[in-house]
Amino acid sequence: MKKSLLVILLAVFTTTPFFAQEVEQVKQKQKAHYNISKFKQLHEELPTPNSQHTASGAPGHEYTQQQVDYKMNIVLDDENQKIFGEETITYHNNSKDNLEYLWVQLDQNVRAPDSKTPDIQGGGPSPLYSPEKFTSSFLGKPFQGGFNIEHVKDINGVAIEYMINSTMMRINLPKPLASGQKFVFNIKWWYNINNYMTDRGRSGFEIFADGNTAYVIAQFYPRLAVYNNVEGWQNLQFWGSSEFALEFGNFEVNITTPKDFILIGTGDLQNPKEVLSKDQFKRYEDSKTAFDKPIYIVTPEEALAANKGITKETKTWKLLAENVRDFAFATSRKYMWDAMAVDLNGKTVMAYSLFPKEGNPLWEAHSTRAVANTLKVYSKHTIDYPYPHATSVNAEMGMEYPMICFNYGRPQPDGKYSERLKKGMIGVITHEVGHNFFPMIINSDERQWTWMDEGINSFVEILAEYNYDQALFPMTGKPKDITYYMSGDQDGLEPIMSNGDDLLNFGANAYAKPAAGLYILRETIMGPELFDYAFKTYAQRWAFKHPTPADFFRTMEDASAVDLDWFWRGWFYTTGNNDIGIKEVKKYYITDKPTEQAKNLMMRYGRSIDQLSPYLYLISEDSEEFTSDLKNNKPEDFKLLSEYIDTNFSSEEKSTLKPPKYFYELVFEKPGDLVMPIIVEFEYEDGTKERKQYPAEIWRKNDAEVTKVFPSNKAIIKITVDPDEQTADVDTSNNSWPKNTETEFEKFKKNQIKG
Amino acid sequence: MSTLVIYQKKIKKYLLILLILPLMAFSLHKYYISLCEIEYVEDKQTVQIILGIFIDDLEVTLNKDHDKKLFLATEKEVLNINEVYEAYLNKHFKVTVNQILKSYNFIGKEYDDDIVRFYLEIPNVKQLNTIAITNTSLFRDFESQQNIIKIKVNKLNKTFYLDKKNANCLLKI
Repeated sequence: MKKSLLVILLAVFTTTPFFAQEVEQVKQKQKAHYNISKFKQLHEELPTPNSQHTASGAPGHEYTQQQVDYKMNIVLDDENQKIFGEETITYHNNSKDNLEYLWVQLDQNVRAPDSKTPDIQGGGPSPLYSPEKFTSSFLGKPFQGGFNIEHVKDINGVAIEYMINSTMMRINLPKPLASGQKFVFNIKWWYNINNYMTDRGRSGFEIFADGNTAYVIAQFYPRLAVYNNVEGWQNLQFWGSSEFALEFGNFEVNITTPKDFILIGTGDLQNPKEVLSKDQFKRYEDSKTAFDKPIYIVTPEEALAANKGITKETKTWKLLAENVRDFAFATSRKYMWDAMAVDLNGKTVMAYSLFPKEGNPLWEAHSTRAVANTLKVYSKHTIDYPYPHATSVNAEMGMEYPMICFNYGRPQPDGKYSERLKKGMIGVITHEVGHNFFPMIINSDERQWTWMDEGINSFVEILAEYNYDQALFPMTGKPKDITYYMSGDQDGLEPIMSNGDDLLNFGANAYAKPAAGLYILRETIMGPELFDYAFKTYAQRWAFKHPTPADFFRTMEDASAVDLDWFWRGWFYTTGNNDIGIKEVKKYYITDKPTEQAKNLMMRYGRSIDQLSPYLYLISEDSEEFTSDLKNNKPEDFKLLSEYIDTNFSSEEKSTLKPPKYFYELVFEKPGDLVMPIIVEFEYEDGTKERKQYPAEIWRKNDAEVTKVFPSNKAIIKITVDPDEQTADVDTSNNSWPKNTETEFEKFKKNQIKG
Repeated sequence: MSTLVIYQKKIKKYLLILLILPLMAFSLHKYYISLCEIEYVEDKQTVQIILGIFIDDLEVTLNKDHDKKLFLATEKEVLNINEVYEAYLNKHFKVTVNQILKSYNFIGKEYDDDIVRFYLEIPNVKQLNTIAITNTSLFRDFESQQNIIKIKVNKLNKTFYLDKKNANCLLKI
């Protein structure tokens, strides 16, 4: 309407020189613009497809990936809390490129005295200091962490030149490594293990009140960085937050611990008979058919007995892991070990838990069962879990590695625990075990894109938790929870498509928002059938490979024939939020007398009223042409319509036709930046309800307001937009007609007074 | 490592980032935060406040203050718990409207999963020119506690993130 008025004004002004100045002003406002449609395809945002990452989102015919195999001998010195290692690395250059050097990640250097990580943290003094922290911060005695590299040698024992740049080490190859060739080299190292309880690391040791120590050891060996055709060498430093990008390979690892320690690590134990007692070995074998409930391999009594003695003797645990991207382990004399067999389409996988007595009785009740449940649900939505075991280790954190993860949850000293603790512990176990799939198998680059592992994993976690305990983990209200974040101050928001190290709201941005987005896609936009197939396709295509965000976005569309560019654009590339409301509701009545609007339309086509063939017309109750007698008109009363029906439909068909008594015009407004489907619930005078969902594409031509005609044979008494809060609508005060002005606060207050 | 302590995660999801409380419902990952939503409702001339705090954290602090176990949100909860809450809030949560420190009515509380929400109201605010909040809740016992304040006045929305180093915020309309 406004536009045509402007055209007329312009026409007037341009023929009137007197108004020349004003004309120019009007023209200035009419700036040209690029395509700003919310439905514009993501051609400019996504990288150009190529023969490695294709337009369909699948790996292409020239997709290559490096392989790195490790043989390691590790010695854990419990007395001095040091770890020593020697590793032989075989680097397979499967790329088409010649490599002048290799990059190795030295994540432990984040704790080195010269680490730059503390230097990039702004802010004033801490509110409180532990003695360790005070000493390390102010007394010039920082923790002597970080790798001590003793040597880097080739297979002939000749030293290889290397250079360490903080958490990265460049191996200067004697000659470039040609495509298809491999390079074998050896690194010897050691470091002081950190106390993760005081420095909050993702690995380290914990000392218990009884003097015993438990080790959760990860990022503990020099690891090859990823080389691919998306980033070249992964060359982002480890600052302590954004995680890892690692190649797949095979690991043969021998770990020497005190003789009374129990250990589980990434990979299959090769010498259970040597490291377990006779009874333990028997139960280890028995557990392989314990499908119903967990059984102990190392019992609480055995763990208790081991707690008491300190031995100088050692033993060596031999582990073999195939096609994994990393290696970690946990070990202590405090651990008991329970186990349960999980059947995945005929293949048996073991669910294990390691925990000290401080974890019980909570852990024996839930940990291994939660692991088993996670494997089942994730396997259904992705690929069958490919590794021999998945293990949950009790530690005061939550962190994941292939086959093994560290999870919190300890009851009070008297063994009592709250439902909150139980829920938290099951939640964190599900989450960390779930990371086996994202990113350990579907191996996105965590250092670049935190959301690709955390967000996608948090989404499947919702489904797995719901399967574990529907009462404890209800699915209702999921998208609503994210509105508190999305409606926040724009200055504090970043798009999901940001690097993890740059996020102000790490948890909300990289975990909850992408999870909520995928939940909305599954439940509301695509439906579970289309979503689940496409999601599984993504997992299958990229299992044991390195997918990028574009591969995910493209596959979800490619496998579903649902254009989602608008959704990725809004939810992932912007900080916008969703706010849709019902602005106006008008009633219309039927007539066979031509309305002014119809007459005008006809005139535009050069026809007069007399030439009009008979039509039916709708008149708004606020129109000047409206008269109250129109209210009595029913569609079937018009001969024009009844004759048409009689001639065109059988009596059987006629009985299914329901002529509406009421015609409503609904005006929806969209103050929010995002586009979303409009879900409308109509409540009728007889108390019945009906729902209608308009696709998001309804906003294609008008991003602010749309109008729909809704015929009904019952009078509507109430209209609610998004009644189940499925679309993360940040402001529900405009979601109902008649308008509901009561705030959450007022509802509560009213109930208080009543109650 | 030193100052990294403050900035590194305790638990992977513990990062002491500006996190939003109801996220917990997604997966109960532990963040030390509280969320306070304040709305000035002009036609009712009231300031309505909903303050959500993690029950287990609040319990740690209140047990310490009272030197006994209060068993929050359980059957064993002490009978005068609302008085305990009110006294704590009066000490740690302060609202200044138009440069005058205001007392608020404690309408009630509700327990929702692991969160307790307090409903507080300041009546008879004919016009709101400035509003200042001080929220020192849980700062004593939780190093990385962050108290988030969201204020809505008519069409204006503003979010503040308070922590131990800066426990105040001011919004001028």
